Amino acid sequence: MHIQDCTENTCVDQIQKIFHTAEVEIQRKKRVKVKLRLDLVPLFLSYARDYLNFKHLAHISCVDWIEENEFELIFMLWSYEASLMIMVKTRVNREKPEFITLSHLWPQAETYEREIHEMYGINFKGNERLGEFILEDWEGVPPMRRDFDTIKYSKENFYQRPGREDAQDVRETISKHSGEEVPDFAKEFSIRRIEE
Amino acid sequence: MTYDKNSKKIVDIIQNFARKHSLWILAYGTGCGAIEVPPTMTSRYDGERFGLRGAATPRQADVLLITGYLATKTLKRVIRTYEQMQSPKYVIGFGSCTINGGMYWDSYNTIKALDRYLPVDVYINGCMPRPESVISGFIKLQQLISEGKANGAEKYQKNLEWYRENQKKVIHNWKMPDYNW
Ligand code: SF4
Repeated sequence: MHIQDCTENTCVDQIQKIFHTAEVEIQRKKRVKVKLRLDLVPLFLSYARDYLNFKHLAHISCVDWIEENEFELIFMLWSYEASLMIMVKTRVNREKPEFITLSHLWPQAETYEREIHEMYGINFKGNERLGEFILEDWEGVPPMRRDFDTIKYSKENFYQRPGREDAQDVRETISKHSGEEVPDFAKEFSIRRIEE
Repeated sequence: MTYDKNSKKIVDIIQNFARKHSLWILAYGTGCGAIEVPPTMTSRYDGERFGLRGAATPRQADVLLITGYLATKTLKRVIRTYEQMQSPKYVIGFGSCTINGGMYWDSYNTIKALDRYLPVDVYINGCMPRPESVISGFIKLQQLISEGKANGAEKYQKNLEWYRENQKKVIHNWKMPDYNW
């Protein structure tokens, strides 16, 4: 069953008919959002690829929901016939982040998975090329996780030449030099991240 | 060989004169600033007026242009490239990222002061510097060469331990050949 002229609405109906637990929503024109349970995702993706004609995996991305102790994986699929994009969202447990590889469906998934593995530490079972990808000799917390403190890390590891501190808030610096008055409302916004 | 003004020999003066008019730049772009090199070299600004030319390999090049931020991974390659270059060799730090980290000051993966890791002869300010400032940087370098003051390579050789220590601090897995000097 091919849906050649699949529009947003028919697409939503079709998905809901088959995946009852999916939360489907039209985000805007040409964008459909699908929220799914983790174990249904591989099933759904192969269904979308083979029956709904979403032939192109455009991207896999990841969000760290540290408050909910979860990672969110997002798969973007594109259909050339219908010019339609679906976003498939799912949640992975943060304590033991694991999913299976999609490289049997789309070979390019391998590269995205390698990146997510490196930046977030999610293990994609079945992907044999996980491991060092863009970073070199990285040890410790994967850098895109939110519990990784970038500023602290860069302060500890890379020498910072003095002289930047006073330029953190340009307005304040200029006023110090020229005697110009800074209005009260602007004082609140002065950023002093280096001193934090 | 010292570059003390009093001990400057006539040979040095001739050598430096020749060197300053034929600076071969290693075509190795590291950061976003590399995009300003093509306009510098092509017809509008025509860097070749000043004797600037591109060189294909480190061993043929005189100038290493560090065009912007350096990730630690790139730094490792840059150090290796620099050590393969033959004297006389000069380093130009290009853009604010090489000076104080620029907009990558809080990055987990880029160094913030190039001169801790390689001897920099000239810094060119800006994010990114326009071809005019690139050319003025090169003219500054030529001045230094003719005065015999562009001796970064010597500094590197003399203070190798200090540079190595800094380099090893950010490059954890140091698997590099030792070149003899
Ligand atoms: S100084 Fe600016 S242009 Fe140059 S590498 Fe840094 S961010 Fe890019």
